[in-house]
Amino acid sequence: QKQVSGTIMDSNNIGIPGANIIEKGTLNGVVSDFEGNFSIKVGGNAILVISYIGFETREIAIDGRANINVTLEEDLSQLDEVVVIGYGTQLKEELSGSVANIEVGSIDKIPQVSIDQLIQGRAAGVTVTQNSGRPGGAVSVRIRGVGSINASAEPLYIVDGVPISGDSRNTGGSGRFFENSSGNLAGLNPNDIETVNILKDASATAIYGSRGANGVVIITTKKGRKERGTVNYSGYTAIQQPTNIMPVLDLQGYAGLQNEMREVFQLPEQVEFLRPGLLGKGTNWQKEIFDDALLQNHQLSFSGGNEKTQYYLSTGYTDQQGTVKGSGFDRTSIRLNLDSQILDKVKVGINLTASRTNENIVANGDSRGIVALALRNNPAVAVFNADGSYAGPVTAEEIALAVPNPIAQLENTDNDLRKDQLLGNVYAEIDILKNFKLRNEFGGSFGYNKNTLFQKAFAYGAISFDNPTLTKTNEDFDYWIVKNLLTYSNNFGGKHDLTVLVGHEAQQSSYNGIVTTGSGFVDNSNPTLNNADADTYIIDEYKGSNSLESYFSRLIYSFDSKYSLTASIRADGSSRFAEGNKWGYFPSVSAAWRLSNEKFMEDFTAIQNIKFFGGYGEVGNQEISNNPFLSILNTNATQLGTAFSVSNIPNPDVRWETSKQTNLGVDFSLFGGHLNATVEVYRKVNSDFLFQLGLNDFVLGGDSSIAGSITPPWVNLGEMENKGIDVTLNFDTLSAGAFSWNSTLTFSHYKNEVLELVDGLTINGQTDLDDTNQILTETKVGEPIGVFYGYQVEGLFRSMDDLNNAPVQFGQPVGDASAVGRTWLGDIKFKDVNGDGVVDGEDRTVIGSPHPDFTFGWQNNFSYKGFDLSIFVQGSYGNEIFNALNRSLTGTNLTYRNQLESVRDFWTFQNPDATHPRYTSNATPNIFISDRYIEDGSYIRIQNVRLGYQIPSKVLDKIGGLNKVNIYGSVQNLYTFTNYSGYDPEVGAYNQNPLLAGVDNGRYPLPRTFTFGIDIDF
Amino acid sequence: CSKEFLDRPPEDSPNSEEFYKTTEQIEVATNILYSVPWYNFISNVSWCIGDLAGGTGRTWDPRNQDFDLFAITGEHNTLGQAWGSLYAVVAHANTIINTIPTTANPDVPQSVINNAVGEARAMRATAYFYLVRIFGSVPIVENNLELVDESYIPRHLVEDVYTFIENDLNFAIDNITNTKSSDPGRISSNGAKALLAKVHLTQEEYAQAYQLATEVIGSGEFKLLGGTGADGTTGSYNDLFLTQNDNNSESIIATQWTGSGNYAEGNGVQSLYALSGITGFDDGWSAIGPSLDLQDTYEDKEMDQRYKATIMDPESFYPDLNGGYTAPGPSGCNAQGTNVAIKKYVVGTPANNGGGARSSYANNIYLLRYADILLIQAEAIILGNVGSMAEAETAVNKIRNRAGLPSITNPTFEDVFRERKIEFAMEMEHWYDAIRRSDALAYLATIQRGWFNDTERGATSGITDRFVTVTADKLLFPYPTNETLNNPALLDPPVPYFN
Repeated sequence: QKQVSGTIMDSNNIGIPGANIIEKGTLNGVVSDFEGNFSIKVGGNAILVISYIGFETREIAIDGRANINVTLEEDLSQLDEVVVIGYGTQLKEELSGSVANIEVGSIDKIPQVSIDQLIQGRAAGVTVTQNSGRPGGAVSVRIRGVGSINASAEPLYIVDGVPISGDSRNTGGSGRFFENSSGNLAGLNPNDIETVNILKDASATAIYGSRGANGVVIITTKKGRKERGTVNYSGYTAIQQPTNIMPVLDLQGYAGLQNEMREVFQLPEQVEFLRPGLLGKGTNWQKEIFDDALLQNHQLSFSGGNEKTQYYLSTGYTDQQGTVKGSGFDRTSIRLNLDSQILDKVKVGINLTASRTNENIVANGDSRGIVALALRNNPAVAVFNADGSYAGPVTAEEIALAVPNPIAQLENTDNDLRKDQLLGNVYAEIDILKNFKLRNEFGGSFGYNKNTLFQKAFAYGAISFDNPTLTKTNEDFDYWIVKNLLTYSNNFGGKHDLTVLVGHEAQQSSYNGIVTTGSGFVDNSNPTLNNADADTYIIDEYKGSNSLESYFSRLIYSFDSKYSLTASIRADGSSRFAEGNKWGYFPSVSAAWRLSNEKFMEDFTAIQNIKFFGGYGEVGNQEISNNPFLSILNTNATQLGTAFSVSNIPNPDVRWETSKQTNLGVDFSLFGGHLNATVEVYRKVNSDFLFQLGLNDFVLGGDSSIAGSITPPWVNLGEMENKGIDVTLNFDTLSAGAFSWNSTLTFSHYKNEVLELVDGLTINGQTDLDDTNQILTETKVGEPIGVFYGYQVEGLFRSMDDLNNAPVQFGQPVGDASAVGRTWLGDIKFKDVNGDGVVDGEDRTVIGSPHPDFTFGWQNNFSYKGFDLSIFVQGSYGNEIFNALNRSLTGTNLTYRNQLESVRDFWTFQNPDATHPRYTSNATPNIFISDRYIEDGSYIRIQNVRLGYQIPSKVLDKIGGLNKVNIYGSVQNLYTFTNYSGYDPEVGAYNQNPLLAGVDNGRYPLPRTFTFGIDIDF
Repeated sequence: CSKEFLDRPPEDSPNSEEFYKTTEQIEVATNILYSVPWYNFISNVSWCIGDLAGGTGRTWDPRNQDFDLFAITGEHNTLGQAWGSLYAVVAHANTIINTIPTTANPDVPQSVINNAVGEARAMRATAYFYLVRIFGSVPIVENNLELVDESYIPRHLVEDVYTFIENDLNFAIDNITNTKSSDPGRISSNGAKALLAKVHLTQEEYAQAYQLATEVIGSGEFKLLGGTGADGTTGSYNDLFLTQNDNNSESIIATQWTGSGNYAEGNGVQSLYALSGITGFDDGWSAIGPSLDLQDTYEDKEMDQRYKATIMDPESFYPDLNGGYTAPGPSGCNAQGTNVAIKKYVVGTPANNGGGARSSYANNIYLLRYADILLIQAEAIILGNVGSMAEAETAVNKIRNRAGLPSITNPTFEDVFRERKIEFAMEMEHWYDAIRRSDALAYLATIQRGWFNDTERGATSGITDRFVTVTADKLLFPYPTNETLNNPALLDPPVPYFN
């Protein structure tokens, strides 16, 4: 044994930090420090293997030397880069489908608790919006536009071979979901993830057939390497802060508003408000419900292995408190990944994770949510009375009109959701014959959800709730999948590479849940059902299953590293469709031409690594409720005995939704590999897209809010197109020296258009705003899906001439302020869009679009010696937001509601130039859905800034026992440049519903997060 | 995998392909028509129209006040629930009417099938009767499945809607075999006849109304609770509204709620009528109070037992409510500025009513009761010049005497109208009586919709008056805007249904 030291340098004689130096044939190895220096104890005749990503690996014999300087040559082609595709991997250079690869290294130290939140802005063509700032909140992921409406438009996730639906609405399962709860991937610990690959086009996803229409996200977790064992600890602690508050009136302003409204509405004065100037600020309800919140994460992992067996074990804990009081999320997870070559021809392995998440759910996102209540609540009411009880309405009028006390509500509602999940996959891979490999996998996801919703007895003001009620939901679900894959691969004559895969797969998903409610508790102290009054028990149960069987095959052929061809076909049989419609067939073909490898290109060096690729494929979507072809009966208790009634209109003809996708792309490099670019254009046409038909209420017996209404049938409604372009540019200094800079810009544009709807139907997107069901969006042929729909506003009526000459507004005569149902000065003047001389329902038109012109993400990593700095900027341009919260906060039609400061500039004879309409009572058309509430939702957000430092190895050597120590600090959601007046322009889609994208109805705003973290290898 | 692997029938409910076959299944098929689909209409809208627009109740609640002020637009969510809920009754009735005759096993007696279809047609008529009075011309839907593919569905002439209702009720009269004694909660043949009498009265067809009402009275199938004579039985007016007396001898058509506590299996009326603290939950919103106009209609609040059974005075005592309940004092017993609160349909906690939960209580709500038939007979006699004044006098006095009031002679239309107003106050009925008047607009303009300024009665601050001028177009309510957008045909002139 002797000590050998030296320096690893690049061709410019700059030291390479972090290079691996391993004694060949052993597990003995070290890593160079940030000047490229290393020192290792080896045997006298040892050979050193020196490697670093992006450089060619070299082997150096020591030959007795004590000092060795090594120069590594850059490996520009990176020929060996392997990309994960469905049911296998493929060399990147041969890839002909559209696959985006996300380097987890750049994101795994960002304080987001769920992987779907982390891929935001990282891949072109992938639009991720956080629907809510609540802990663990689900996101909407749209790969290349919106493909479907009612059936889920979320991608399919494949975690170590096990499919997980991205649809948090659970459309394809029991149809039940916990509102305001975490997404389906929240159980997965992001620290365990090695790579994320996103299959964007059908030539890549067709191998997933019926579940690939919305794209596929393949998540691969970390594996052990053939090296000595490593223990890693990584952890961070973060403070999350609410970002901004909305300018609602304080008490003085509110008192002035109430006085003004009461005068206009001819109501008696409120004595306590007679002298607003004498009042204080009153209650700031936003300050009461928001608070700084802690987030912490700890992860310990063990990995390593030898030639035969590799392992990765980890345990992680994340605890995120919410910035809205009372909300929180925590997760504990363990993982075991093991691969072993147990026999010469047999390799087996397992990926297994078990997790438990706990959530404290606080209702938000609609008019009754905590945020909306806080904004509208009256600043004259305190949170608490002097005696410590909750304050609230006292008089009959207040009781009739007042907004509930949000603090009383959230402190007296315990809504806890626990999800336990076991997710895993076991495989055996056998080399049965030369060139033939058989792989069998059994995987599954087995889970148990427990929701406890306890409404305590409480009172605020004169309103009391004295009957504590407990609702418990216990739900289990089993999902399993069996795969049998046979692969043949061979090389003919050194130039022809052929890989053929045939496979069979069967999967089944089943669920069973029981919901029990009990009330009549004596007090709040023992919220278990045995303490409820036994006469009050209400029990409900639901149960069901669905299944899918598939056969598939794929051929990959490449010639001389120049041409490659991929063709695949999959047949899926689904239990969701009736006999005769069960089976769907999904073919694809794609090809790539690596122009740079042609002989005639040898002398052309201005552009390198040119590859053209393109493909066509068809994929399906079947994420709809079970048994749409049968009419299922509901049962209800009545005084006459059990009642049976049809619950839905069946459609035996309903069949697969098919997405036909074409993709064309080019990869190239410039400036000696410093700049790499990928440009892709695509067209997706979703035919026969699945939709739950919106029928007239007189056919269905009301919308879904009406008891006893009949669910409309699932139909194959029409055709929708998404066209777009994805651009990814990467710049790298490629210097392995003291300073390096890597910058990636992703740019995505899509255009969505509905091409066909059967019977010329129009689809309305509706939701409750201030307790009234409102149509906010429409979808019809020739327009994008879910565009905002309503009236156009021309301004205010400011003169009698204008009032008398304008088209009659909604059949209301011109009157004066003393009667309701009259149009008067200071009212909104709506536009007679169709020119028929009156303003009525026919004058509604498209007033905005939630679809962005483009979205982008810009990731920069700088490093200098031991420091690394990353800055991630992300944004959206050209999308519009329907600010429903603003509508509620500028209504000025109800007393006892707080409003924005701006409403005080309201129309009166004395204030004819006012910006806000006159105050008028409840049923005023002034608040009809109109472009008054449409705002530009463009933004640029400094999403993350992170500064890290790697402690030099010299220092670590002195401490001993430590291999690598990184410390870092970061700020998430640092600053947002936007003109949007609400909390946050990143609105997303409420409950992932594409018909309600861009509707801001009091969502939980995203916090700003300050993080300090450490990452240690032992 | 085997073929069965992809065959996944529902595991938690039957489906229509395997139901509606046996006698037992057909006998229970109509149960749904008495319950869930009525929920939104009864709990949320029926009283807004019947008593708020009608003027027997008042409110400050901004959404419901729109009914009081005639400011309802097609955007009004509460009104939209009437439309949806009543058509839900129609939809489920249609399923039974269209399905059972073809799915029933051959061994099911035809009379069983006809009885079920008769009940369904009677319930469909009940729903259309509300629809035509609330909205006027509406689409007649007989087969919902046929309309799934239609994008233009016209509305039908008012007279054709009435003809459709009459056809349904005539079928029901001829085919229902249930009777009050065999099935006290279901519509009987005479029950359908009673409703037909009211349908004719509404169309001013007094001879038919008189004829049918007289037949129903003569049948002796229904009896006045607390009444005397052949069609009277023990009990009192107050007893009509106790849960334990659901489906009593006076009940002709009533929703059949339970105390299961599940949403829409009980009624939600108590939540909105009651003062807080009575129901055992945080409801008891007293969203409506008895109007000042109604309070002034009573001849004698002491003598007329209907006052205390309908209106709760401060500090009044109710032995039958929660085992003995004393109303709060003036400041606590003041629903919507009326200085009183509602008692009718307020039944108390689940423990005292065999179960229930917030917004889901077990007491039935009357859609038609025998007292109505007596007053229909009297009104038909007076307005239609049919029958004899002696019969009218007997009918009106049965109602008055049961309430504790003395008899009157030669009752006028106004006498009958006043009895109806008091008898059915808070039973979601008065609006339909008001608009039946030939001088409906003038009558509605006289209704005092104001409030007391102070809870101290007779305090100097007095009353804030509110009288609302009602125009003829307000006598019908607008279609929900979402419906006209989805089906603009509703805005086109109505078309005939019968050729």
